[in-house]
Amino acid sequence: MEAKHQLYWGMLEVGLTNGPKMEHRLGDGSTSSPRTVVDRMHGDGYKAYQGALMPQGNGKRMVRRSGLTMPVVTPRFVDNAWKRGCDFINLDLEDSVPQRLKGYARGLIKDAIPNVSKGGAEAFTRINHDLVEADLEAIIWPGLSKVNYPKAEHAWEIEKLDRIITRLERERGIRPGTVEIGANIETAVGVANAHEIAAASPRVKEFGGATGYDMSRDLGVEMFVGFDQFVYGKGETELAARALNQEVHTAPFTANVTGSVSDPDRAYQEAEAARKCGFRVGGGLHPNVVDPQNRGFTPTEEEVAQAQILLEQYRKLVNSGESWTEINGLIIDQHEAARAEELLDWHQLCQERDRGKAEAVARVEEEAG
Amino acid sequence: MFGENLMAHRDMPQKIRRSWLLVPASSSELIATAHQSGADVVVLDLVELVPQADKPGARETIEGSIEKVKAGGAEVFVQVDPELIYADLRASVWPGLTGIVIARMESPSQVEEAHELLDRLEEERGLLPNSLEIVAALETAQGNHQGFEIATASSRVWGLTLGRADLVMDLRPEPSGEIHLMQYLMQRLITLSNAAGVVPLGAWWREPDRGLLATPENTYTAGFRGRAIGVKGSMCITEEQVVALNRAFTPTDFEVGAAGSLLDAYREGTAQGIAAVKWNERLIDRGAALQAQALIDLGAACSLRNETKEAALEGRLVPAP
Repeated sequence: MEAKHQLYWGMLEVGLTNGPKMEHRLGDGSTSSPRTVVDRMHGDGYKAYQGALMPQGNGKRMVRRSGLTMPVVTPRFVDNAWKRGCDFINLDLEDSVPQRLKGYARGLIKDAIPNVSKGGAEAFTRINHDLVEADLEAIIWPGLSKVNYPKAEHAWEIEKLDRIITRLERERGIRPGTVEIGANIETAVGVANAHEIAAASPRVKEFGGATGYDMSRDLGVEMFVGFDQFVYGKGETELAARALNQEVHTAPFTANVTGSVSDPDRAYQEAEAARKCGFRVGGGLHPNVVDPQNRGFTPTEEEVAQAQILLEQYRKLVNSGESWTEINGLIIDQHEAARAEELLDWHQLCQERDRGKAEAVARVEEEAG
Repeated sequence: MFGENLMAHRDMPQKIRRSWLLVPASSSELIATAHQSGADVVVLDLVELVPQADKPGARETIEGSIEKVKAGGAEVFVQVDPELIYADLRASVWPGLTGIVIARMESPSQVEEAHELLDRLEEERGLLPNSLEIVAALETAQGNHQGFEIATASSRVWGLTLGRADLVMDLRPEPSGEIHLMQYLMQRLITLSNAAGVVPLGAWWREPDRGLLATPENTYTAGFRGRAIGVKGSMCITEEQVVALNRAFTPTDFEVGAAGSLLDAYREGTAQGIAAVKWNERLIDRGAALQAQALIDLGAACSLRNETKEAALEGRLVPAP
């Protein structure tokens, strides 16, 4: 088992196999963003897409539509994780692990990383806010994409994580900068310091949030209500993410008064609403929501066809020297063109991701005979 | 005694700028008709509505266009590009100009740059020093993040707007019909504008209104809701929208009448030594009375503004707004 995993990760290093890290290497290595196309259409001096959702300068956008957070101490979750079809698996050391098992749990991460990611998912680990040193020592191994740090409140906390991760990457043969930091905002102090926290390390690539149980508890607000109780905190964190060109990790408000985490229809509707608002990151707690999230965050064929038509019309418009027009009730202009281009890019990334996961699963099944 | 107190906040005449009609500086047709629109402000746009290739030509026409679009009593601003600020301002600073809208503002240093350039051009072109105003359009995340610093970077900054942030930041409708993030951004803009002593501009647009493309009915609703949350006027791109915005940002007769009745009740109460007065279902106090007075003042200022515009259209002499 151990040897096989080492071989697997060795192959990944030289790019011989598809796996979670392959997302970074697909394509020709160029960054593809809506702006490049629109700039080309307009010639020099034309900025169509300032501050928009597409993170720029961070390389290719990661496809993280679905993911399960699971206690690393529960073998039936961890051993089945690779079959779930997730884009990522978040191995938890924090709230789903009892206090007395913390030491045992962190010792499981090194083997769990290849185990949960052999079906093509990225592997993340959520550490404990108060056990940073011990947790990081135990989890920074090849194959880990991201450390989720709960209840981030100050920039110096993120700087400290960055220093430790930088050292461990060097010691353990991991390319510098590989491991991302997820700075989770779950308290009022975190909201107040949102911009400084998000700016504290280049390892922070996605940012947002300021919702959930911990935030509710910290503010003393109800969790399951029919209105958006987090407008301000969500706005603060999203504005910080956008100002720093990071992927926004948030979702539009949809009422959830029951607290259900396993309703697939609801998961699909939420994912679709989030995608239509421009958001790309999902995740959940129950296997029922994985497939609905994968579908809900992927553009439909109709949307792809419509985007292609829109771009065709936009090219004609640019050649005519006009800046906007309306065709069958649809506005055609630089902003819609940028959006259509982004949709096509995203659709292609989703397809590549799905192909990569299918190949990884097939490989595991073949090896198992 | 009491009357003086209520008047104390009215040390400066209000500038009534409810509707800001954006007109492409390159379009002679739209410029020829803009003075009939009834806009409080005409904004000659050199940024998004003008294709790159047409900009040099458009800059040549600004001096003449200012005079044309003022004929209906509108104030005139030019919307300029912070990355092309030298060329745009040199083309725009002429007698008759009230100020500039700077699109896609991102930092206080851009405001300082514009301020210094305006200093120089005012002197060169024989305008009163420090007379030209700046409206900063915070259309990007960076601009909004730095909003307070931008608002306080120059004494010329008169107002802030989100401009076309929904397009520039690609903000899209939520299932509720609200445009994602806009409620937060508007509240933020309104709060920091007032903290900085400048005027917040905008309207509360919802799905399906995109950018500034909205029916007159939806424009009225957006303006009315906008006035309720504290913005004082909004950009628009059609004459129909101008009419809707002028109406939406003017207190209705009903509101003015109710404010008058509230003030009467308050005066009666205070004359008897009562400062918390029962009025209809409400208990009103000095704060409510001040608010009612402000609404009456706003209504009067709007009427005056409408009269000066009518007079200007008819060619009568009117004092500057």
